[in-house]
Order: sequence, then structure tokens, then C-alpha cells
Amino acid sequence: MKLDKNNLPDKNGFFGEYGGKFVPETLMYALEELETTYEKLKNNNEFKEQFYKDLSEFVGRPSPLYFAERLTKHYGTGSIWLKREDLNHTGAHKINNTIGQILLAKYMGKKRIIAETGAGQHGVATATVAARLGLECHIYMGSEDVQRQSLNVYRIKLLGAQVHSVDSGSATLKDALNEALRDWVTNVDDTYYIIGSVTGPHPYPMIVRDFNSVVGEELISQSKELFDSMPDAIVACVGGGSNAMGAFYPFIKFNETRLIGVEAGGEGVETGEHAAPLNDGTPGVLHGALSYLMQDDSGQVKGTKSVSAGLDYPGVGPEHSWLKDTGRAEYVAVSDDAALKAFHEVSELEGIIPALETAHAFAYLDTLMKEFDKNSNIIVNVSGRGDKDINTVANIDGIKI
Amino acid sequence: MNRLTNTLDELKNKNKKALVAYLVAGDPDIEMTIELMKLFVESGVDIIEIGVPFTDPIAEGPVIQKAHDRALKNNVSLKLIFEMVDQFRKNDNKTPLVLMGYLNTFIFNKALIEDNKNDVIDSVLVVDIPGELKLKDYGVHNPNINNISLISPTTKKDRIELIAKNSSGFVYYVTLRGVTGASNLDVNEITKNVEEIKKYASVPTLAGFGIKSAEDAKLLSQCSDGVIIGSSIVQMIAEGSQTKEFDRIRKYIIEIKQAIS
Repeated sequence: MKLDKNNLPDKNGFFGEYGGKFVPETLMYALEELETTYEKLKNNNEFKEQFYKDLSEFVGRPSPLYFAERLTKHYGTGSIWLKREDLNHTGAHKINNTIGQILLAKYMGKKRIIAETGAGQHGVATATVAARLGLECHIYMGSEDVQRQSLNVYRIKLLGAQVHSVDSGSATLKDALNEALRDWVTNVDDTYYIIGSVTGPHPYPMIVRDFNSVVGEELISQSKELFDSMPDAIVACVGGGSNAMGAFYPFIKFNETRLIGVEAGGEGVETGEHAAPLNDGTPGVLHGALSYLMQDDSGQVKGTKSVSAGLDYPGVGPEHSWLKDTGRAEYVAVSDDAALKAFHEVSELEGIIPALETAHAFAYLDTLMKEFDKNSNIIVNVSGRGDKDINTVANIDGIKI
Repeated sequence: MNRLTNTLDELKNKNKKALVAYLVAGDPDIEMTIELMKLFVESGVDIIEIGVPFTDPIAEGPVIQKAHDRALKNNVSLKLIFEMVDQFRKNDNKTPLVLMGYLNTFIFNKALIEDNKNDVIDSVLVVDIPGELKLKDYGVHNPNINNISLISPTTKKDRIELIAKNSSGFVYYVTLRGVTGASNLDVNEITKNVEEIKKYASVPTLAGFGIKSAEDAKLLSQCSDGVIIGSSIVQMIAEGSQTKEFDRIRKYIIEIKQAIS
């Protein structure tokens, strides 16, 4: 775990002008406690050994970097490689972060775990690690997401956690986060809040990024081993941005690798009905951080639209805003329709059913692969598997299961 | 010196406790909000806190969340709130008015706060910033508006000192771990913390969050300089919004006022 590769965020939690700690006073103590614990443990050998042991033995890391032969042929330009986070235990990259954070919770002596979830993957990953340590666990989930991700809701319950359906606001991920923050304000003394993305107040964007950077670290050595160079591009979907950040972060210093984040274009960015704040937002404060945000002309947070519950969020992690403004990463958006088309294509061409979130990254290959020649190597971060989305896709295709 | 400081000084000189009442602007509608503000003053409220509706009010319990939602359905913006306050000021230039809301609204509408046309607003309370910081730290500056800081039961001693010394208008002591309208008051802890704040603060310390009954108000007024009532009034506003009959609120405020006198 090389956690000090660059000096961001600064001591106040800012990446350039983005990030920070915008929370009610009640939470200041908890955030300081978390920051102190993390600073103390992140370079502690015993802590690091435990983290990597769990990732190896419980999660099954490292995840393979797999050559997508038929997809490569399909485009006929560069080689396409898939980082198989979908093969992790629980089926997505989300487990990497929860493995790390539950260790922090344990060291801090917290007895109660809370988390928000959109697609349910973070809820499952949190319920999983909480079960493993025998800790009480509560998952907040927007009622709309409870409907469209019912499989994951049941998985969370099987793991012994309680699911709290949230009806307020737009009843999606942002509202689940609001409710989790309210729980935390109320039960702050004995509760650890495992945030599931590189969002929220400092130190969360840093902690979640660091734990999930295991993905990018593996990619560096796997790229050397498999094609003996740095990749020409890494493509990842961006909701809050944790899978992208984990893959991008170790590559920030390698300028030869293009970093491309794909946001949820919903009905199309031009329609305003989407979840793409980096493409069509302005800086604002939501959930404790300043970052690009979808907001209306009086500063209210706008509703979002995406076929993918995990990307259906009006904000984005502050480090992505910084990477956008500095030009180090590029952020594009693809529509629901394009993502659904890619969902089917990848399933049929590669025998891998990707999560609808991941399908957004695949969909952008239609544009991106035209920019590369045969000697190039493109990595797609397969953030999760698509089993959870089968009902949603079947519904759209008019099929009753 | 603005209205808030004047009012708090007057109360202090008379050895009286302050009664602050909260409502959400535009709930049930802007006209009724102005009427309710008048009713507050007639019934004995010293300071009015005007909630600025926000889509994601993370510090609010269900009662006030719903009020924010109702106001947003009426498209209540900060601009509209300033117009509303202008209207109120035509008949009342004495009652201090505090805007209570979330940072994004204030930085997004920076010009409105910096302008504060005709000085209608006296103070701003931003719920989602750490106690030691002020709007000025986020680039919104108006020296005639004071910034009320919050201190909570989890604030450590070194921060209590920092925040208390930094506060203007009054210090808002959040009486519980939780959201507005919750019910887990711990009077011993509150008394101890308010005493600690008073060591450092040059302004009064008022207590809010979770005060429901006249009895709660009485207990808390004994250890603080006044109390802030929010959720229970907002609940009565919600229940009376169909009939527009708010006599219950009048009775409730009078009862609280007597309890803290």
C-alpha cells in the first residue's frame, strides 16, 4: 500500500479547490477521530498485513487482467484488456474498500456499522465484512433502488444486516446518503460509517481511494507482465467514482496513460436528464464536499436519471473534479441506450455479463477504439458483475422472468 | 449594532431568557409564512429563525425535512425569501431575523447575502459547516450580518473555546446527538457543556434541537440564555395548513414563553 504517492489532499482535505469537510459540528469529532486513526494505521505493518491477507484470502485478489480477444477483434484496433473486479468475492470492486474500513472500525472499537448503497453492491460488501466480524449493520437504500436492485436487498438481509428503505427526496443514492449521515449524527459515539465511494467529507475520499488503489497497483505490474508497457488508456465508469479512482490513482504520475471516466448520460446529456455532473454540472457542496454537482439556477440539487442505480448520483468525488480541471483525466458520458447495447454485446462476445454501471465504460469503446492503432493496449475496469441487473434489463427488453 | 445584538442585550439587561422560533420559508406558502411570523411576534417570540429550504437537509429530522419538501414544491428560492422578508419588514423593523440553511444555497446565492438590501436580515446560521468557520471563509462576506456558530455535545474542549470565541450574535448549542426534532435530551450533559461555552463566549448561549414541551424549555432555559423551538411548531404548521387555523401555535408559544420567564 503506497499511500503517499502525491501530497493530495492537503491537510484540510482539499484537492485543489475541491473536497473539504462541510458537515454539521456534531460530526467534526468523528471525522477527526477517523483521520487520526487512519494516519496512525496506514503505515503500520500489522495493519497492512491484515489488509492484504484479507484481500488475498477472503476477496480472492489479485483479480486477473484478462485479454478480451473477441472484443478486440470486434473493434479491430488496439488490444482490449479487462480488469476483472467482477470476480472479487461479492462481485464488485466495492469489497476492497470495505475490507479496509472495517479494519479501521475494529481498531476504533466501534460496535455498529452503517452504510448507504445505490446498486446494492456496497451494501452487500459492507454487510459481508460486518458479518465476518459479528458487528451490527444497517444499510440505507433509496426506495426506488430497493425496487430495482431487489436481489441485492435480499443478499444484504441474508448477511444479517438491516435494510432501511429511504423515501425522502428522489429515493435514490443521494437520499440514502442523507439518511446515513442522519443516523451517524444520532449514533456517532458507537457507530462507524463506511462510505462507499470517494465522496463525502475528508478524510473519506482519501481513505476510499487508498484502499481501492490496490486495483491500480495490480494493473501496473500486470501491464508490465502481459504487454510490457504502461497501458495507453484506462476506462472506468464514474458515479461517485470509487472504481475509477482506484484504477486511476497509481497512474496519475504516468502521463502516457490516458485516464477516461465515463459518466451516466441517461437520456442524453443534452436533455438534462442524466447523472453526469462532470459533463454538465457546476461546483457545489453536497454530502460534505465541494465538487462538481448537478444543481438548478437557485442552488438546489437536481434529480438524476440513469438506468444504472450505482451511477444515479448528482455529485462526484472531489478528486475527479480536480483531475478534470487539471486535464489529467478525461470525463465523457454515454446514454442509457448505449450502455444497454454494450451490456448485451459484452455478454455475447466475452461471456461476461457486466454490471450496468460497468456497461457504461464498455459503451465508450465505440468512440475510443477509433482513436487507437493495433499496437495500443486499452484497459477497461470491469467494476462489477451484472447478475444484479438481470431483472432491470429483462424488464426493459419486455421479458418476464 | 444590529437587531439581534440589540434584542439579546435588552433581554440580558432585563434578566430574561430569549425565545427563538423556527419555521421554513414558504411552508405552506409565502403569504402564510409572513402571517405566521407576525403571529410568532404577537405571541412573545423574540427572534425568528427562517429555514431556507434545501433538497438535501442532512441535519433535519422527518418533520422539518417534509417542510423543506413542501416549500421546494412552491419553488421557494433564497431570492423569494428576501422578497418575503422585505414584505415582513414593512410592519416590523425590530424583530431579529436569522436565516438558517445549508452552505450550498448561501454560496450559490452569494450576491443576495452580500447585498442584503435594506439590511432586512440580521444573521445567518449555516448548518453544515464546522463551528469555527463562517460564511466569510467560503467567500461570502457581509460585515453587517453576524454568523451564529453551532457547538454540539461531541465538540471537544479545545474546539469549544475556539468556536465560542469566534461566534457572533449567539452561540447555538445543539442539545443532542441527532437531527432536529429528536428526543434524547440529557440535561446534565447540556448544563455542563453550556457552562464550558460560557467561559469563553462573549455572546449569549442558546439551546436548541429536541425541545418539545414547556417543561423541556423550562429546564434548558435554566442553564442557558434562551431556547430555540423548531420541529414542534413546524409540525403544527403542517397540521394546520389545510384550515389555516394556527391558534394552537399561539397557545403553544405563550405556554413556552411563560415557562422560561
